Amino acid sequence: MNRLPDLSLETSPLTLVEVIYSTAIRDVMSADPIVVTRDTPMSTVQQRMRDHGVSGLPVAEEGRLFGIISVHDLIEILQQGKLHMPVSDCMTERVVTLEEEMPLSMAISTFSKYPYGRFPVLNAAQRLTGIITVRDINVSLVNRLLQQVSKFESMLDSEVTPGLALNRVFQTRKHDFENGGKASTTIKKHLVEHHVDRSLVKRVAIASYELEMNQVVHSIGGTISYRITPEAVEILVQDRGPGIANVDNALTEGFTTADDWIKSLGFGAGLGLPNAKRVSDIFFIHSEPGVGTTVKAVIHLQKQTKEQEA
Amino acid sequence: MTLAQIAPLLHATIMNGPVDFESTVVSHVVASDLMSDVLVAHTENFILITSLASDQMIRTADLVGASGVILVNGKQPPASLTKLAKELEMPLLGTALPKFEACLAAGQALLQETTA
Repeated sequence: MNRLPDLSLETSPLTLVEVIYSTAIRDVMSADPIVVTRDTPMSTVQQRMRDHGVSGLPVAEEGRLFGIISVHDLIEILQQGKLHMPVSDCMTERVVTLEEEMPLSMAISTFSKYPYGRFPVLNAAQRLTGIITVRDINVSLVNRLLQQVSKFESMLDSEVTPGLALNRVFQTRKHDFENGGKASTTIKKHLVEHHVDRSLVKRVAIASYELEMNQVVHSIGGTISYRITPEAVEILVQDRGPGIANVDNALTEGFTTADDWIKSLGFGAGLGLPNAKRVSDIFFIHSEPGVGTTVKAVIHLQKQTKEQEA
Repeated sequence: MTLAQIAPLLHATIMNGPVDFESTVVSHVVASDLMSDVLVAHTENFILITSLASDQMIRTADLVGASGVILVNGKQPPASLTKLAKELEMPLLGTALPKFEACLAAGQALLQETTA
């Protein structure tokens, strides 16, 4: 069987990482799935699978998930000639589930981890709202990547200021205060040399530096990538952990987990993420404890919507 | 007011001065040892008065577009700091004055200028 490619943050193209982290499972799954109840006979299961062309059905009653019944379970029952049996005697009860709000990346890694062909999707209230298959993921990925490719193709046609456009990736290391900030300094210099408006340069510099130093101070290391076009500066920072336990807290001014040593260096006042968000036109953060944090910050170079705040 | 006018009022020595002090305009002061505070400062044409002698202090000053940095309390900057100041063309001055006195001297001069 063909295996899914390794979709790690480190090695994947930025466009793909962006798509799989910014797309929610809710937007990919098949909503309102066909379900069977615990007392449905297996003969009905056979009929439903045939009628709808599916190879697995969640067992649910009024939104509460009890298990899942697959075509493999059905084959076994057929061999035993026990089609009269109720679903509850044949289903798998311990089901791996996903949640609507999770990013698509989570679904992909779950499919890589388990041999199953589908996972039920629950909402925040733990009610069944959908089902996700590899086919759903494929269709969604192809569509979204096509959109991105079209966007890039149209960018190729647009008039690019000579030299301003830039794609660069920098590495950061834990507590490396000697090199921390070099990426931001380099990018700021590049923008100044290409005569970008001073207040816009300042906003890019602040967002970039706050995010870069956050990685140096809090993470075990990661990357900071820049995509500069005449329209915008996109900053994508990705680290390998430890992840933020509560993103809302981290976005609150004054909340900090920094120790005294970090504070003695002039950092860790709990203003970093809120300040980066303040100067950005688009700001997106996703963090998973134990996995890592991804932040995307965009500053438009043409619409000066937040100029007054810099 | 220019950096060249402020420097003698603070009895400051020049640790890095690649830029023309005569043409470097100063109209505000930001005094902090917390780089996070400097990064949220909303002013332009300001000097940073600080007692934090670290490389990151110079980087922060550069990234927010400070006109110069004044290191107080007679702190001697590490070699890496002066090197970085040169590289980033950031004016760096040192004074034996404590931070409060330095702020007072710079503040009075700026006030006199605006009321003159």
